[in-house]
Amino acid sequence: MFLEERESTHVYRQKRMFTKEELETRERLCVHEQPAFCNAACPLKLDAKAMLQAVAENDFKKALQLYEKITPFPHVLSAGCEAPCEGSCLLCRMGEGVAIRKLEQAVCAYGEKGRKGLPRMKKKKTVAIFGSGLFSLFLAGELQKKAYPVTVFCAENDLQHYFDAETGFVSARARESSLLALKGMDIQFRFQTDLGQLSSLREGFDVVCASWEAVKDCTDWEEALMYSRELKIVTGKTSGVLGAAFGAKKAALSVDRLAQNLDPSNTRGEEGTVETKLFVDLTDVKASNQCIGSGTREEAVAEAGRCIQCTCDACVKACAYLQHYKKYPRILTREIYNNVSIIMGDHMMNKPINACALCGQCSVVCPNGYDVGEICHIARQNMVTTGKMPLAPHEFALMDMLFSNHEAFLCRPQPGFEQCKYVFFPGCQAAAIAPDTVAAAYRDLCERLEGGVAIMLGCCGAICDWAGRYEMYDETKAFLDEQLKSLGSPVVIAGCPTCKKELSGHEGLVLTGIWDILTEIGLPESAKGLDTPAALHDSCGARGDRQTQDAIRGLAQRMGCTLVDTPYCADKSPCCGYGGLTQYTNREIARKMTQKCLERSELPYISYCMACRDRFAREGRESKHILELVYGTNAGSPPDISQKRYNRLSLKQELLRQIWNEETEEMDFGFNIEYSPEVTALMDDRMILKSDIIAVLQQLRQTGEAVLDGETGLCIARARLGNVTFWVKYQEIEGGYRVFGAYSHRMNVVRRQG
Amino acid sequence: MAEKNYYTIDPMGKLQCMKCRVPLEKGKAKFMYLDNGFPVELPVCPQCGFVYVPEELALGKVLAVERALEDK
Repeated sequence: MFLEERESTHVYRQKRMFTKEELETRERLCVHEQPAFCNAACPLKLDAKAMLQAVAENDFKKALQLYEKITPFPHVLSAGCEAPCEGSCLLCRMGEGVAIRKLEQAVCAYGEKGRKGLPRMKKKKTVAIFGSGLFSLFLAGELQKKAYPVTVFCAENDLQHYFDAETGFVSARARESSLLALKGMDIQFRFQTDLGQLSSLREGFDVVCASWEAVKDCTDWEEALMYSRELKIVTGKTSGVLGAAFGAKKAALSVDRLAQNLDPSNTRGEEGTVETKLFVDLTDVKASNQCIGSGTREEAVAEAGRCIQCTCDACVKACAYLQHYKKYPRILTREIYNNVSIIMGDHMMNKPINACALCGQCSVVCPNGYDVGEICHIARQNMVTTGKMPLAPHEFALMDMLFSNHEAFLCRPQPGFEQCKYVFFPGCQAAAIAPDTVAAAYRDLCERLEGGVAIMLGCCGAICDWAGRYEMYDETKAFLDEQLKSLGSPVVIAGCPTCKKELSGHEGLVLTGIWDILTEIGLPESAKGLDTPAALHDSCGARGDRQTQDAIRGLAQRMGCTLVDTPYCADKSPCCGYGGLTQYTNREIARKMTQKCLERSELPYISYCMACRDRFAREGRESKHILELVYGTNAGSPPDISQKRYNRLSLKQELLRQIWNEETEEMDFGFNIEYSPEVTALMDDRMILKSDIIAVLQQLRQTGEAVLDGETGLCIARARLGNVTFWVKYQEIEGGYRVFGAYSHRMNVVRRQG
Repeated sequence: MAEKNYYTIDPMGKLQCMKCRVPLEKGKAKFMYLDNGFPVELPVCPQCGFVYVPEELALGKVLAVERALEDK
């Protein structure tokens, strides 16, 4: 039985994952790129977070560059800014917020000026500013930065007096620096001007600005634009230092628009303060007090170090997959969406799409429930629909599922019952990893439950569901339903939380977990907990299933286990690396996922999903499935891929022999094969089964086709099995073969004529 | 014009066909995958036409091309 490979790379079908609107709605849920609270509260949009980071790193030069971005006069602004950022600092909720304004002053004091950039070409349109004061000063600075030829008309006698007009709050030193900066700016001044002559003096200028005092009789000005349409003057009332700086920013933008003969109200972008939706996890943040007294450099560094650098990374912190790709859900979603929309060429996001465990942990740790797994699952189904899904990453797992539901499938009512009240569905991984435990559990259920307990050994369909093969999933679902019907539609006792979750999608099915049954009927005599404390790992299949999580804890405690909950337990539990077929599609990430699970505790792990048990043991951790403790069994070392298949088949045969007294066929293919441990490990790594080797050697025996390598003395035979060609290096021995190596490729090779 | 060969291996008489008991020779072959073809020259049995793909080729170039095509 083989799966069909997609026909061609030259198939140009396309189907959108969802509409652009839905994409945007989904993207909006990710708040990672939302501004920090201090940044959102600043009308000038100071990136205080980045500035504080630079100060904390003792890089005052960079900090000053960031601060200078928002104002031409950093000394003046920092001396008088009302600092709404400070009140919005999250640290205020538990202690003192960061002293941002004092840090701005420190940045001005200790930050070295960077090199002046290249001289910019002056703009052609000229601007006049009438009057003095903070608004006039800031506006002159802003317009000079924008390279307008600016002329300031003021009543004062000289530059010193012009600067002093409203800057009494600035310290002497800062005043000196600011005045120096002002002198260095390319601004023309007309001192001792009679501002009453504005209407005649404005002649010849393209745009006219004025301080509020210079246009006393103005009534129709618009605050958002700082503009009077009646007077055609950029002006407005401001209050405070920050108000003047912000007013000057708005006014400078209006000047830009007017200089281009455009209405100042159009296309201005987002101005002023904004509301941020950023979520910051404050669980590990402790209250602290400000430590910037006299404002020394060291104090400033320490104070800036208090900044917690607000960001939302709840999902990335929790998930090895997101950490691996270093991408936040919004970006990932957009890239996946675009990947799916590509008709021709390389699909760079296929690997990330197929590497997600689809476990849903992100949807629980994200404050807005962003589910990357759902996106990847939709993308996989989409790729299957359009014929763009490669078979290679999932083929082994899908073939394994077919094996579970064919050769290794078993569905029998308990002897003596035509129809049963229950059916035990242990799950394919339990049968593959711990067949003795499954057998013990089934015997126990038959013995202690009334009404008959049937057994169904097979796969619930999770494999094809994860692979996005929805048609195959529907077929599996129909097949299982038919089998269950033949048993009299009994209550399904799932042995695996993922099976329980998958089977819950079947209409009219009554489902329970073996853990619920054991809670009800009590533990068997064999039950014995671990002697040492253990960490409980919740299965990702039980996410949102509190009843299962509690039942497992209850059972473990009744067996005398001392359980230690780990970070990210219960609903927040990460996947072990098996889910979503990550184990098959990306072994590196799957391993990181396992390690992420294990880094939560040094203790032995108890789990209730056999895949978790297997992957933890593979990493060398003492790992027990709860049913091993209940039935006093030991699944031992993790089996290789061939052993997993053998275990499923032999469990079926053992049950048939022992419970139903049926004769079963011996698994004999008529010759012996010897493998060294190195070859077995190599085959496991290359996903080559012993059954593949047998098939190659069987074909060899039929055709005699092989090659002798004169250099190594080894023979090499091959067989095309489905979509893969397997090659086996062997030597003949008495009664069979000794295998020295095996490899495979998917490309088909044929002889070419000519 | 002669067809381009993407890869050439000459067995140099070191490989023998077990069925026909003759040395493999450099011969024309073609890799096919997902409706794409790549002409190559590989060790081929001059009698039965058995085409041999060595391990280094299967796990090297062939695997790389497979992966590239799978994401097309």
